[in-house]
Amino acid sequence: MSTVIARTAAEEALGFQLPNRRMEDWRWTDLRQLIDKPYPPRQHVMAKPADVERLVASSLFAGVAATRMVFVNGEYDAKHSKQANAFVESTAAIDDPVNLMNVAFATDGARLRIEGNVDTPIELVFISTDASPRTVATRNVIEIADDASATIIETHLGEGSYLASSVMEIRIGHNARLDRIKVELESHDAVHLAHCHVIVGRNVTFRDFTLTTGAKLNRQNGTFRFIGEFADAKISGAFLLAGKQHADTALVVDHEVPNCASRELFKCVMDDHARGIFQGKVIVRPGAQKTDGKQSSHALLLTETAEFDAKPELEIYADDVACGHGATSGDLNHDHVFYLKSRGIPEAEAKALLIAAFVGEAFDTVHQDGIRTALEDFAARWLTEHGRKR
Amino acid sequence: MNLLDIDNLHVKLEDEDRDIIRGLSLTVKPGEVHAIMGPNGSGKSTLSYVLAGREGYEVTEGSVTFKGEDLLEMSPDQRAAKGVFLAFQYPIEIPGVATMQFLKVALNSQRKARGEKELSTPDFMRMVKEKAAKLNVSPDMLKRPVNVGFSGGEKKRAEILQMAVLEPSLCILDETDSGLDIDALRVVADGVNALRSPDRAMIVITHYQRLLDYIVPDFVHVLSKGRIVKSGDKHLALELEEKGYAEFTESAA
Repeated sequence: MSTVIARTAAEEALGFQLPNRRMEDWRWTDLRQLIDKPYPPRQHVMAKPADVERLVASSLFAGVAATRMVFVNGEYDAKHSKQANAFVESTAAIDDPVNLMNVAFATDGARLRIEGNVDTPIELVFISTDASPRTVATRNVIEIADDASATIIETHLGEGSYLASSVMEIRIGHNARLDRIKVELESHDAVHLAHCHVIVGRNVTFRDFTLTTGAKLNRQNGTFRFIGEFADAKISGAFLLAGKQHADTALVVDHEVPNCASRELFKCVMDDHARGIFQGKVIVRPGAQKTDGKQSSHALLLTETAEFDAKPELEIYADDVACGHGATSGDLNHDHVFYLKSRGIPEAEAKALLIAAFVGEAFDTVHQDGIRTALEDFAARWLTEHGRKR
Repeated sequence: MNLLDIDNLHVKLEDEDRDIIRGLSLTVKPGEVHAIMGPNGSGKSTLSYVLAGREGYEVTEGSVTFKGEDLLEMSPDQRAAKGVFLAFQYPIEIPGVATMQFLKVALNSQRKARGEKELSTPDFMRMVKEKAAKLNVSPDMLKRPVNVGFSGGEKKRAEILQMAVLEPSLCILDETDSGLDIDALRVVADGVNALRSPDRAMIVITHYQRLLDYIVPDFVHVLSKGRIVKSGDKHLALELEEKGYAEFTESAA
């Protein structure tokens, strides 16, 4: 097929064929059409210190005590970082277009090996400063040793027009705990293409939360592999989208071994003409008995023109499992609104309260108070801007 | 002055032609407790919803005056701030909104609308905890999302707690007895009776006389096919219990 289709200008600049709607996983997010201008890779952009300072300060977690590691335009910024890189190898399979591009273009990335109990969260801040359109790519590898525990925040921020390509490879050792909190707060003129590979060891507690609210176009893939028994993964996320934002999250949770539990919960609020997509696949391999895998995605559409598509998939090859999925999409419940109003709460406040409650459930995965509060405060500000204008 | 004046009220569902309330008139003075009894489908719940301002109903004729103002012109939250409270027959579950937070936002919204100062958090917490204890509403229930996972009895007690916190001047109790066993009924009735005062009126809507053993009304009205067909004192309720509604449903036909 690729031989007969002429490359678009964007593909020409990248030297790659972009995924298109004829590929099942990309049916709602045709990058050939949606990426409408060239983002040449490997451009060296010198950032102004003031821009870097401003962007670092605009992280939702600027006020949270954390060990920071800052990447500016795809390169490690020693001046703003407290944490240095370790030597850990990338091992994830390079199997899809997002990964392929990332491998080809990544200029840098975090390489961390966590041992013991690390109490202070580590925040990886990825910044793109305002410059001519280009691809900014980082490839990150994080290894959590056996029995270790850590909280890792990933913040993606920027100004201007760029394509951010981010791949995160995470290996969690036996009996370890990892909390990962990702905030995608890219420039509204940016494209964010990400893939997160997670390998979950035996007896692991893994909690993952992603807030998707920046970028005009966002595609986030996730692959979560259980390779040791008795592990528990909670994977949740919130979309807060407005204008013409487009966000597509595609996750594969792969139960390769018995006795693991996975919970996916996504809460998506869409305003204006925004479009959200959640594709979630749960695979239970032969012999992965006693798997407990649940997945749900719920969307709240604040306008008639917003759209949400959900594609839940279960692939089960074991017979003693408890798996399920659910997806809903709709407006606020009118009975709820009336009940609050009948108690004296004006309509705008009632709606804001209900939307916050709707999204809030996804935040339950975040156990660190300061981080959770920062997320809730951001959501409240977003809702004030978007939920109340009607 | 009358607290509430309902005059020749006609109400239909917005998307239907048939009137559900057909010429209902009722006057309520401060301090009075009125019971409205009637068979299923007589319009009892419609009346409560129309007074609270629920969408989906259309008033085709008549008027409702509350504290001298046109109630039908007000939004539900304005009515609440003005002193109208409806205890729902089926209290709504609101996932994600903690009961305590909900009560605080509700009370402070009302106070703000009336131009009063908002209550400080410690004062508010103290007041709610005190009132909750009297209604057997546990501190755990206050932390839980509004009505979520509450039993039938807990939901009704939570409604009465809201009423106690918001201190309305007109309480409308819609089938508050439904789904309650005798012990739960007693707790709820005690809560309601504690709120009886010379400034506060109540409209108690019920199918059965049982509730009126505990909340003794000053007036009893029989509602049939959308209008009040007979009024009397508390003895009328006993009479209804004995004879049933047949007499009224036929005479109103």
